[in-house]
Amino acid sequence: MSLSSIAMLSPNIDRIEGAAASKGIGATPNVSSGAAPQSDFAQTLASMAADAIGTVKTGEATAIAGMQGKAPLQQVVQAVMQADQALRTVVAVRDKVVGAYQEISRMQI
Amino acid sequence: MSDPLIAAAKAASNGLFAQSTRMRVLSENIANAETTGKTAGADPYQRKTISFESVSDEMNGVDMVQVDNIDRDTAPFRTEYMPGHPAADGKGYVKLPNVDMLVELADMREASRSYTANTQVIKQVREITSMTIDLLRP
Repeated sequence: MSLSSIAMLSPNIDRIEGAAASKGIGATPNVSSGAAPQSDFAQTLASMAADAIGTVKTGEATAIAGMQGKAPLQQVVQAVMQADQALRTVVAVRDKVVGAYQEISRMQI
Repeated sequence: MSDPLIAAAKAASNGLFAQSTRMRVLSENIANAETTGKTAGADPYQRKTISFESVSDEMNGVDMVQVDNIDRDTAPFRTEYMPGHPAADGKGYVKLPNVDMLVELADMREASRSYTANTQVIKQVREITSMTIDLLRP
């Protein structure tokens, strides 16, 4: 389950990042105030996603080690639970962000 | 900065590991409760004891439990008169392990209770984590 979900997640994260970047550029075309760095939010999101992917990978590695009898059961459960939590957090945040962009794109101009 | 909930789950899972090590040690004691020596007058299996210590995890800032060391119980052995036994000494007495089944069983129950308590902590952590993540859902 987890391997495919990582694979599923990565393009989504890229898309969010891309969306964030493009929206950022689109929203402030000629405003030269430059108060905030444009990709700040996207960067935060990307680093969070990278963190989550790292956690998921640790979970995978520990699960495999557990299957080979190299890691204690408790450690396997802990790592997999942490990975699951990270994944769910990222998915929840992604849903929220995508929802926000959809809300903006539906706005009447 | 790290997530206190993850740290709590980690501490509890370390507790699980410590208690399962304790379970292993006392299962050795129970399994070897009748293990005598092989030669005349030889010492039998010596009961193992386990002690825990608290170790600070720098990354998460929590005190985790860890197995300190597994020692041998120096209590005197039981003896039984069995002249035909290969481990019998000159007077026909065989040394039997210093394992008291009652103590081991009480210890096992305690380890099991402690293990259950730690799994409850993990369950609770998972539940409140889910509750918190669900706040993001519409």
